[in-house]
Amino acid sequence: MKRSFMMAMALISMAGCSKKAREAPPAAVAAEAAPLSYELRLGRETYRHYCMICHGEGGAGDGFNAFNLDPHPRDYSDPAFQKKKTDAELADAIRRGGAGVGLSALMPPWGHTLSDAQISQVVLYIRTLEHKPE
Amino acid sequence: MKTDSLKLRRVLAITSVIFLFALAISPAKNYFREYRSIQEHFRKLGTSRARSLKEAQAYQNHPVAINQIWMRDFDNRVDRCTTCHQGVSDATMAKAPEPHRQHPSTAHTPSDIERMGCTSCHNGEGLATVRADAHGTTADSASPLTPLVNIEAGCGRCHTTDVVPQAALLSRGRALITKAGCYACHSVRGHEQFRSEAPPLNSIAVKTGGEWVRQWLKDPRAMDPNSTMPNFQLEPQQIEELANYLFSRPVKLELAAAIAAASAEAPGDAVNGKKVFSESRCISCHTVEGKGNGSAPELSKVASMASRGWLLAFIRDPHAFSPETRMPRYHFSDSESRDLVAYFESEFKDFGAPEGILNPLHVNQTLAEKGAKAFRSLGCFSCHDPGQGTIKEKFGPDLNGLGDKRAASLDFGRRIDLNRTLAAWTTAKLSDPRSFSAGLKMPTYGFKGDDTRAIVTALLSLGSQPVPEAFHPSPGGTPTPIPGGAIGKLVQQYRCLSCHQIGTQGGDISTAPLTFEGSKVKRDWLVNYLMVSFTIRPILEERMPIFRIPRDEAEKLADAMTSFYVNPAIPEDPFAGRPASDQNAAEGQRLFVSNGCRACHIVGASGGYYGPPLTDASSRLKPGWTFKWLKGPQAWRADVRCPNYGFTDTDALRLTAYLETLRATSAQKPSGGKK
Repeated sequence: MKRSFMMAMALISMAGCSKKAREAPPAAVAAEAAPLSYELRLGRETYRHYCMICHGEGGAGDGFNAFNLDPHPRDYSDPAFQKKKTDAELADAIRRGGAGVGLSALMPPWGHTLSDAQISQVVLYIRTLEHKPE
Repeated sequence: MKTDSLKLRRVLAITSVIFLFALAISPAKNYFREYRSIQEHFRKLGTSRARSLKEAQAYQNHPVAINQIWMRDFDNRVDRCTTCHQGVSDATMAKAPEPHRQHPSTAHTPSDIERMGCTSCHNGEGLATVRADAHGTTADSASPLTPLVNIEAGCGRCHTTDVVPQAALLSRGRALITKAGCYACHSVRGHEQFRSEAPPLNSIAVKTGGEWVRQWLKDPRAMDPNSTMPNFQLEPQQIEELANYLFSRPVKLELAAAIAAASAEAPGDAVNGKKVFSESRCISCHTVEGKGNGSAPELSKVASMASRGWLLAFIRDPHAFSPETRMPRYHFSDSESRDLVAYFESEFKDFGAPEGILNPLHVNQTLAEKGAKAFRSLGCFSCHDPGQGTIKEKFGPDLNGLGDKRAASLDFGRRIDLNRTLAAWTTAKLSDPRSFSAGLKMPTYGFKGDDTRAIVTALLSLGSQPVPEAFHPSPGGTPTPIPGGAIGKLVQQYRCLSCHQIGTQGGDISTAPLTFEGSKVKRDWLVNYLMVSFTIRPILEERMPIFRIPRDEAEKLADAMTSFYVNPAIPEDPFAGRPASDQNAAEGQRLFVSNGCRACHIVGASGGYYGPPLTDASSRLKPGWTFKWLKGPQAWRADVRCPNYGFTDTDALRLTAYLETLRATSAQKPSGGKK
């Protein structure tokens, strides 16, 4: 009953309103332009706290402690490296450390220290470190 | 008769059609509500993204309805945000366009969505189902959505501590508020006990000169970039009045006597002073030409700021001058402090300063009286309590509830350029407080970009009501008592808590909390360290000063540490009751190498600079601590960088046994200072 009633009403006012009803859903309310999303901010915070000291602020493998390490940390800002590694591979190397993925043991495993969410945030942030040619 | 009946029938027909229409208005309005088309769109999007037929059917059969989250523990709040934001906890909707997008994962999502709803973090009108009402985009909205850049304000509604994990912007904002001393003028729940560190101005007339005070009042940051005093944008006349008032204030008798006696002393030896200065690591807090921590004044012009007698008397007993200061009282000998001041006078001078910058000001009583009034009306007493009676009421407006203010209730004054939102108003208030109208009293702090955003975030977290009990986060730690008596006096004298943390108290300069120091380090090591503190972490710029603590005091402090600041979960002997193979140090050494510990730790001649060198580990660390640390460093301080390797008990014990064998030869022992 209700349904047929609604159908009738819909028919009556179809001409006037159907356009509005079919409009695509509105985009999100324009928020103030955020410099980085919350997730990226979390990723950056974690990166700066745990990773930057060896991997460097821009990910170039030039952190303060890098010169003590042989082999040196990787250069993430290198587009070729960014292209070669999937998110899952990066997360796995963070989780299991260098020794876990057959690389240098000087990169510790973070799987017992960082949560999966934190690790994926870091991966997200590392992706922003890629050096973009001008 | 027939026509009458026909007429009546017509009227009846028309009225019934009108009646039908009237009846239909409400359901029709409901039918064309925005959320229905949004849900329709969600259904289509879900179907197109579905990875199986079953999933697609589930999206297809999703009924169109108002969804809501009922928070029984949160004042029976109801959030209907999920009516439009249907994908918040739907992994298929990752990176989908809004409003369907999956919520990013945070400490509380997706796990707590059912318990905490949406508005407890985001604000907004939970009950509304129309976008403008729900998001509160109108100026008189009671609860507008918090802008995403300030979203961490939501964390701060429940987490009222200064440091909130995973909310770096909020924590930074709160730290900046404390540093800027905002609580001195504004009341905020939980900060009633705040006392400004600003000096009490009880010895101005014998400390500095009239010209220096004038320049300082004009622009404090120009004189000392580390200063937390804001710019009051004073007129030259006001400056003159205030300077006269400050010089008219009586100097505390005992301070005047100490300064007079000190200025009569023979000059010291600047060369030795330089040595004392660097040994004492003054720049762990102060700066010299910008180098140093910066939480205490810049020193490169200090001899043009204060008289020799004042400097000498202050260094000998800073707490007599300024009871709230974080500066410790060093155990300098009379000649050492004289040498230090001689060094300041030879090098830390403003060579471009006008002649006679330290000449006293001859007080004009009329100006001084006007200055006294200005001192009150400008609110100077809020930070510089000159002993003019107790402060009953805060000088500035109460900030509790700022985050819940309606934009329509705010005075935008001259700032017609601003968006009519709370965030825009607060941001402008912070960056240019005097721009709203004439006669406003808040001084200019000159906060910039990111700092402003951080402070705005912290301010928006101030709700009018505390959140219900069920939403109070579990306390991060219990306050650990600071012993009284002789030990308490020493802790006060050396101001241990200016840098170190004990329980939930203390500063943030040191990375070593003292809460369980007694379980962590060996007593004899601690005694030596207190007397001559060398650098445990070479990477740190802020190093523990050498206070010249005499042996008897160092022993008292070390004994107090070993008896009070212990944790029963840390065993004295971790090997007790374990098989002898757990003490296999050679196996421990192998683990040390295979786990790459040397990336951060020096042992012998090689290793990284990040963690403490372990060459002399066995002199410093108790094995019980080492074992417990290896089992999970973050249990002892949440932000420790040393990763948790997930060691088994056996591996952790073997590593402990290896570290117990590391003892420096006398040539490798750190040395510094004398005694």
